[in-house]
Amino acid sequence: MNWLVEQLGILSKIFYFLIQVVHWTIIISVLAYLIALICGLFFGVARITSNRFIRWLAGAYINVLRGVPLLVLIFFFYFGLGKIINLDRLVAGVLAVGVCYGAYMAEIFRSGIEAIDYGQHEAAMSLGMTRWQTLRHIILPQSFRIVVPPAANEFIACLKDSSLVSIIGLRELTRAGREYANQYFLDFQTWLMVGLIYLILTLSLTRLVKVLEKKFAVHGYGVEKK
Amino acid sequence: MIIDVKNIVCRFDEIAAVDNVSLAVDKGEVVCIIGPSGSGKSTLLRCLNALEDIQEGEIIIDGFRIDSRHKEIHQIRLEVGMVFQNFNLFPHLTVLKNVNLAQRVVRKRKRDEATRISNELLNKVGLTDKINAFPGQLSGGQKQRVAIARALAMNPKIMLFDEVTSALDPEMIGEVLEVMKQLAKEGMTMLVVTHEIGFAREVANRIILIDEGKIVEEGTPEQVLDNPQNQRTREFLGKVL
Ligand SMILES: Nc1ncnc2c1ncn2[C@@H]1O[C@H](COP(=O)(O)OP(=O)(O)O)[C@@H](O)[C@H]1O
Ligand SMILES: [Mg+2]
Repeated sequence: MNWLVEQLGILSKIFYFLIQVVHWTIIISVLAYLIALICGLFFGVARITSNRFIRWLAGAYINVLRGVPLLVLIFFFYFGLGKIINLDRLVAGVLAVGVCYGAYMAEIFRSGIEAIDYGQHEAAMSLGMTRWQTLRHIILPQSFRIVVPPAANEFIACLKDSSLVSIIGLRELTRAGREYANQYFLDFQTWLMVGLIYLILTLSLTRLVKVLEKKFAVHGYGVEKK
Repeated sequence: MIIDVKNIVCRFDEIAAVDNVSLAVDKGEVVCIIGPSGSGKSTLLRCLNALEDIQEGEIIIDGFRIDSRHKEIHQIRLEVGMVFQNFNLFPHLTVLKNVNLAQRVVRKRKRDEATRISNELLNKVGLTDKINAFPGQLSGGQKQRVAIARALAMNPKIMLFDEVTSALDPEMIGEVLEVMKQLAKEGMTMLVVTHEIGFAREVANRIILIDEGKIVEEGTPEQVLDNPQNQRTREFLGKVL
């Protein structure tokens, strides 16, 4: 009984310690995800433009960044690029995660765009719309709904992978966990709590994605309601 | 002469879907195009607004040469309205916005003006009560009438109709044909690919029969339907009449 109370005390202390830095995990993930969204939209659209060179460039971006381990990218941005153009940890870490997830997002956007019936392009073109106008007013708004669930799932993956930036000294959840474990030799309890906090975050996000999926399935089309 | 098609060839992988077709259409003329499935009727229409490239020949519409690589092709395209078999309405937009959108972004009309024109056209096709509905809530006949209004909103000089009643339930065909008849009466230049021989007889100034990418018969409805010269035409009419 005493033991249990003692352990619960330890766990709650760890929890309190970790919760102080959890906002950094969230900040890093959100910033990285914003970069991923922008890169993803840009390269996803670039992947299907009529310009061959731009298409090739986007293909190269996607294949290279998906083919390199994220950890290596983080090292490259911090130790490699960071030393040359002087990036601080946060910028280097966020950029590495962002451009990496941008490659996955690009593929999601591309498949979302390609999922739209070609008749939509033709109808828009026959009304005199340019490719860009067609994309902006017809294709992307329809793709958006298809893209929301997988894109939101990428955020969850991104949040988990943000733990990798702990290695370059960014003091987020995982880094703080390591500090605590090393200082008090409480590895089991500490990593249990770190895992638990990630789990709370990801499970709540999963619920949120479910809600989003429902919302986007109904609104905007008035089709499925029938 | 508003459409002048000279010896065009449109190939897919070496096979000519449109094979050396020439066609001249005067302003206000209604030309119905009939022929078996796969004979190249859709491809011919699609060439006319550069949805397909031609490899030989030339197409001149209202004095402009049609070329999909031309920078201003979207400018030239808006002189040619097109209505498709599968409607191709924009499902994420209401009926009103379907008709408004291109007016706003292509014709650069103000919202009020676009809405006024859309309301007029939707009234004309009998859909005033549906302006705020989404396409998914409409019947096939209603969808097709929206598609016609949407094309007309750009003030095209020519309208192309590609089997616009083929995907409709029989009881809805009439309402769409009625709108097209009205349009013909008002003097619109129309090219109509159709299997509705009755409609062709009543409305067309000229009927063209296409087979294997070639025009095999051409003339007034009486000439083509009642007194066909070509064996192919007789076979085709024998099947559809
Ligand atoms: N995008 C395409 N790619 C390859 N072949 C095509 C394409 N579009 C049409 N075709 C071919 O061209 C021929 C004519 O087709 P189409 O113009 O659609 O005929 P119709 O409208 O008279 O039924 C058909 O043999 C068809 O298979
Ligand atoms: Mg066809």
